[in-house]
Formats: sequence, structure tokens, C-alpha cells
Amino acid sequence: MTEEPYRWVEAIANRREYIEHQLAGGSPIAALSYADGVVLFTLGRYRQKIFEVYDRIAMGAIGHPGDIERLRMASIEVTSTEGFARSAQDVSLRRLANYSLSPLLKAAFEQIYGPPFLARLLFAELGRGTAPDSFLRLEYDGSIRANGGAFGRTMDHFGVVSGTAVSTTKMEEFLRAHFKENLSLEAALKLALDAWTVGHLSLDGDAAGELPSHAEIVRHRREQLESAAIEAAVLERGSPLPMTWRPLADADLRAQLGGVLDSRA
Amino acid sequence: MHGAPTPAAASAPEDFAGLLRSRGLYPAAPVAVGAHHLAHSVVPTEATTILAFKFADGVLVAGDRRATAGNLVVYDRADKVLEIDKWSLMAIAGVPATAWEMARVLEHSFQFYRRSQLQEMSLDGKVRALSKLLRDNLGMVMQGVGVVVPIFATHDTEADVSRLYFYDAMGAQFEAADFTATGSGSPAVRSVLHYENTWGSKPLAKRKEEDAVLLALRALDTAAENDTATGGVDRRGRVYPIVKIISKAGITTLPEKHLARLFKRHVA
Repeated sequence: MTEEPYRWVEAIANRREYIEHQLAGGSPIAALSYADGVVLFTLGRYRQKIFEVYDRIAMGAIGHPGDIERLRMASIEVTSTEGFARSAQDVSLRRLANYSLSPLLKAAFEQIYGPPFLARLLFAELGRGTAPDSFLRLEYDGSIRANGGAFGRTMDHFGVVSGTAVSTTKMEEFLRAHFKENLSLEAALKLALDAWTVGHLSLDGDAAGELPSHAEIVRHRREQLESAAIEAAVLERGSPLPMTWRPLADADLRAQLGGVLDSRA
Repeated sequence: MHGAPTPAAASAPEDFAGLLRSRGLYPAAPVAVGAHHLAHSVVPTEATTILAFKFADGVLVAGDRRATAGNLVVYDRADKVLEIDKWSLMAIAGVPATAWEMARVLEHSFQFYRRSQLQEMSLDGKVRALSKLLRDNLGMVMQGVGVVVPIFATHDTEADVSRLYFYDAMGAQFEAADFTATGSGSPAVRSVLHYENTWGSKPLAKRKEEDAVLLALRALDTAAENDTATGGVDRRGRVYPIVKIISKAGITTLPEKHLARLFKRHVA
């Protein structure tokens, strides 16, 4: 049946619809540059969603835990073997995503008798020296959305991933409007929390709608912080070791966000 | 990089050495070379004399800077004390070609374990990992070209004490109570350390940092006096031994200036 081109296209469309439906509830993840590195941030209830990949690369993922695990392991294996065989300087997010992960995801997605990956990934890479940080979103079909700089687009110093396209767009809109360079860690965490809140509020919103108002954000983030755990990690530019990953504990995060949590404004 | 990863490999977490083996990247002994032929025609480069002992703040690890091949000096700025992770040092006596590669595998193994398993490798696991690498190297040892005799020092973050291990070339591991030394200059170093520990002003474990560093410099200088393969201090080239310390604060490398000052005042 699927030998007919039309059937194949239909099968792919069905598969896309099915995966989108599965991912639709995914809690957003935001990553952004701050003065001393990159911060990755999300709120969750059940399991870890932000991971270290290599010395300067971290990932966040939403989707099925089994699929996330396979992609996470694949990323770690590819970067570790490259870092060992050549050097840590030769490991790059661009190559990991373009040459290793994207073909793998695309092949699994289009082989309609095999299972696709039910996962959407966000990668962040700490830039070396004065090079800007990279953010990159990798879809279940292998398509890549990098943080730009090429083809006349201005460069975003952040990256997001969320359950729905609307939510993703809203988070990007919000961050584009509010991001500033050289934020302190505290300010970056607060901005990431607000971006997360915008994303979470618009998971089943429509594309034409306005961004949530400030009051809505404040109310929603307070509600969510009461019932969910904060998960965040940083890649630190000033790390004395080649490894830059440092996870932040929920309690420390709450202390740092203290001002935000108490304020009624 | 190394092509698209296969999902099959990705689904079964394996240790890093296993991963390297499956990709054909594991450093291994050349099997086809006749052992006798190799042992007689190649004089391998060797690094000599490393020592480590416990003192008041933790463990001090030091090594001279000379690498030799037979009676030739190959290199006079070799670094034989290698940082494996935030808490672990590996010092090497023996063939650097094998030892540096071993250190590389070890470093990546610990990182790979932490990243893939989402927890730090246990201290016992780390100590065993080096033992396994040495055993894998048995082929090179038998051919007489890749003998490595390392010292491994690490801080046990759980018990908050620094620990010290030494190995033989076949991978047996021993935990040292006070001190250890390996390499061609080690008989002299061990004698000095034993004497100081037993009849010196204070046992090694009670000495302060400056005394400990001084003792390391003197012990290495004594070894250089007796053993041509151990490099002494090159005063003109300002080449001093490498001295590193592990304590609960992590690893510190003593700056050359500091060593130079101590050496000038108390050793030379």
C-alpha cells in the first residue's frame, strides 16, 4: 500500500500528527546566555530533563523517556569518542547535530514500519573565547533550528523547546523582547522562569493570540512553583577545568529566585 | 564525527573502554609484531621516578621531569603527574606513549560514566578502572615495550580523606598507608621517605605543606644523585619537578616560582 507515493505522504502526515499529539503536553525548557555562561532551565514533576553531554555542550529534552535516553546516549557516545580520538576542541554541536543526530532522526521518522523517536531536543553550546554561544533545536524528523546569525537573521542568544509550535513561538517572542546581554545569573534565571511560564501558559493557545500579560505570568508562575520542582544547570565560562557543567539545586534556586517568589508585583 | 550512531549501541550503556573497542579506537598492543624482535630493536622512551605521600592537608604527588630511552635523555620537561578529574591524580613511571594514552582513556572513562549514568563513579570504581587498563596492557608489558607503573591519588569525598594507591605493571592495586614511589629512582626515594617517616622530626602524615614540598624536592634530588634516568633540577633552564597536592579543596599545582624559592633556600 505504501509503495504508492500518495500513501507514503499520508502515512508520514499521520505519523507527524501522532508525534505532535504525544509531545503536546511537554513542559517547556529555556536556555539563554548570561554574563558568565549559559543557563538551562525548566520546571518539572517527574524526571530529569536537562543533561550534560560534553565539556561545553548540554541538552534539554521533552518526549518519551526511552527515546530521550537513546538520543542522549548517542550524543554522549559521539562526542566522547570524538573528544578522545581527536581532542575536546574538535567536538562541536554543529557537527553533532548535523552529521550524527539529524540523519538518525530523519531515517527513523521516514521508515514508516519502524518506530520514530518521540522526542524534541534543545542543545546549548558554550562558545570558546569570544565566540557566541550556540543554541539549537532538533525535531523528531531531524530538522534543525539553530539560533541564527546566518542569512541576514539576527542572532538570538537563547534557545527554547516546548510541546507545541505555538508555545515555542511565544517563548521566542517573549525572549526576543526581554533578553539583555550580560545578565547576572539571578536575572537570567528569572527571565528563564518567565519564558517558561509564557511557554506553559500558551501550550494550547492559538498563534494569533497576544503574549500573556505580566499579571498572568506572575500568577501562573507562583502556582506552578508551588507544585513543581525547578531544574536548572549552567555551563560556566570561567570553569578552571575543561568541563563546564554545573547543576543547580532546587533549594539554591529558590533562594536565588526568592525576591521573585515573594513579590506580589 | 564517527558517522551516525546506531540506536543499538545507544540503547545499551557500556563502559568507555568497551565503546572505544567497538569503534576500533582502543589503544592496544600491536599483535603481529614478534615479541623478541621488538624488544631488541626498539629502545622505548621511559619516564622515571614519581613519589607520593600523605601529609597533614592531603596527598602530595611529585615527579621529576626527565624522559629517557636507554642512556639517552629524550625530554627534560615531561609532565608525569596528570590530572584525571577534579579529585584524582595519576602519576606515571614507565613508557609515556602507553601511560599518557592510559591517562586519556581513564579521564574520558570517568567523564563518560558521570555523563551517561548521571552519577559520579565511586572511588573503588575509579581505582579498579586503572587496574583494568593495566591488565589490558599486558601484551605490551610482555613485549617489553609498554611497561607502566602508575600511582593513583584521589580524595575520598564521602569519608573526607585522601587516598593513595600504587600498581604493578600487571594491574595489581595496593593502597599505600604512608608513602609510595615507583620508577628507576624509587629505591633512593623510598629509603629517604622511610627514614624521614620513622626517624625524622615528625611522621610524614603530620607535616605541614611547606615541609612536605621540601621533602619531595630533596627526595627527588637524592634520586637524581644516584640514578642517571632521574632528572635533577635544571637551575639554568629553571626546570623544577612537578608537585601537585590533593586535598578536600581539590587539586593544586605548586607554581614553579614557589618551588624555585624553596629549592634555592633549602635544597641547593
